[in-house]
Amino acid sequence: MEIEHIKADVLCVGGGIGGLMAAIRASELGAKAVVAEKGNALHSGKGGGGCDHYLSYIPEIHGPDMDAFIEEMLQTQQRHNFEGLGMNRIRVHIAKTFDIVKMWESWGIPMKYRGEYHYAGHAFPGGFRCLMKYEGRNQKPILTKKALEKGVEIVNRVMVFDLVSDGNKVYGAIGLNTRDEKIVVFEAKSVILGTGGISRLYPSPTPGWFNNIATRLSLTGDGRAMAYRAGAELQNMEMRIQHAGPKYYARFGQATWIGVFRDPQDRPIGPFVTKPERLYGDITPEVNKNIFLEYAQAGKGPVYMDGRGMSQEDLDYMMYWLPHEGNTPLIEHMKADGIDYLKHPVEFMTYDQGSGGRIVTNEEGETSINGLYAVGDELANGVSNASVFGWISGENATLYAKGANIPDGKEIQDLIDEKKGLLEKIRGQKNGPDWKEVNVALQQIMSDYSGALRTEALLDTGLFHLKRLKQKALESIIAGNQHELGRSIEVLNMIDIGELVFICSKERKETRGLHIRRDYPLTNPRLNNKVHIIKEVDHRPVTEWRPTQK
Amino acid sequence: MPPIIDEDKCTLCGNCVDICTEDVFFGSKKKQLPRVTYPHECVYCNACVEECPAEGAVRLRLPLPMMLMYKPAPTA
Repeated sequence: MEIEHIKADVLCVGGGIGGLMAAIRASELGAKAVVAEKGNALHSGKGGGGCDHYLSYIPEIHGPDMDAFIEEMLQTQQRHNFEGLGMNRIRVHIAKTFDIVKMWESWGIPMKYRGEYHYAGHAFPGGFRCLMKYEGRNQKPILTKKALEKGVEIVNRVMVFDLVSDGNKVYGAIGLNTRDEKIVVFEAKSVILGTGGISRLYPSPTPGWFNNIATRLSLTGDGRAMAYRAGAELQNMEMRIQHAGPKYYARFGQATWIGVFRDPQDRPIGPFVTKPERLYGDITPEVNKNIFLEYAQAGKGPVYMDGRGMSQEDLDYMMYWLPHEGNTPLIEHMKADGIDYLKHPVEFMTYDQGSGGRIVTNEEGETSINGLYAVGDELANGVSNASVFGWISGENATLYAKGANIPDGKEIQDLIDEKKGLLEKIRGQKNGPDWKEVNVALQQIMSDYSGALRTEALLDTGLFHLKRLKQKALESIIAGNQHELGRSIEVLNMIDIGELVFICSKERKETRGLHIRRDYPLTNPRLNNKVHIIKEVDHRPVTEWRPTQK
Repeated sequence: MPPIIDEDKCTLCGNCVDICTEDVFFGSKKKQLPRVTYPHECVYCNACVEECPAEGAVRLRLPLPMMLMYKPAPTA
């Protein structure tokens, strides 16, 4: 495989919202900013299909007390999102949101509805509404265009999969071209990871299918896996995430639907609304994402999102926002099948999105490795978080890069040789399993041994099986072309993440949220304000408990 | 939900091949009809439909396991 070299002051790995915002800011400040994107930045990442709500605080709308806004926000599903990040970080984020709103508006992303800032959805009746409705359908093409205008170099179809680092400092990264037989070596003074979450470590609603997911098939935790291998700290890798949406049709947009969640006898399942309310939606599943599953298991389901009784005007409003939230194909399907939402309630379900966890960073976006930053879903979910910390990290990575240099080391060449060897080995293997087969095996081990129920015996056994799977995969996985090679590396990255999930699950000897230890049913209050750290020391995982940042 | 290309309407511009995040059209040749090489990697994001300059040249087919489960209206 041919090797191509690209130099950068700031390398952004992943061209999602976080990566593009970081690159735009870095370029504006005079850095040579490069974005490496394994798909095409125009529509890649979790924000690639659009979004219709932006977490933001405007003093003129919400009042001068930002902490009151934060307190309200943390009663919604945002509490899972910000768990373990510390109040300082949350304040830095929220205080910056209105600046980004105004900036995006000036770049052509419509942030107003009928001429005004408008907040709706994900809200308790009578409380603050924290999510601004905005027309995010074209946010990625607009941000991509802005990045190019600012002089950012966007390298599409290159999947970065390892960092060049001496364990204390990062000075580049290595990627593979997913179309042409090439390896790309980035010599970079700083690196910003923004590769998104992990979409297929756990099964989708449709058995054996990978693409029935609300995010993207290509979001496979590459950033977390490579950060860990480079020696960076990760946190709370054992925690799990669930999402709710239309049954069997994994999509975002639960709060874009207007209606009341009702049981088969038309009784509301939650206490918040009794008729469709366009400004609030029905926030019941944000209090308990598992509620649809609990109803099903108790024989009380199915649960429907019920829009009956809403006005045509409210329906038009909902249908106006659904495409911005990436749901155009859903609307087409409803039209084609004659599903009239004014008459037909739609069944909802709980999806297992799998692994949470994040790369440890501070308020500056810095990880525990010098020159390495992390943004977007590497920290917390949401467009607002990705845009704010993209901006902040782009700024700080640029400052760092000014005083950094790239050593002419043997280490880089050794790493290139090692990784080239791995890629060529996979391309040369015959008659083994393809990435899909490995991925199915991975999902069933994760689901059955480190899924909804965990015990020490299950975790020990599952980790043993996972290590066997890893060995077999490394020795035999096949890839007929560069695309399949990329998919193979993705699944190997997810196996690495899976191992960390097992190790951290075993160490968390308590039940907390969706981490349910049948052998440790208590929630240990001594761990309330602690984060669970894991990092690699001398090629071995080491865990520790650390107080949450202030 | 693999994309379906209408041969009569496609202008062979290659936009869908360029922009697909999952590279469902991997291996397609320039100025030729896009080939849906990896239909099961399509995440139905609709980008190929939205970026297509020829209306109706690309459409998405909803797979049967993903059809919406709705409550029928009571019959009169």
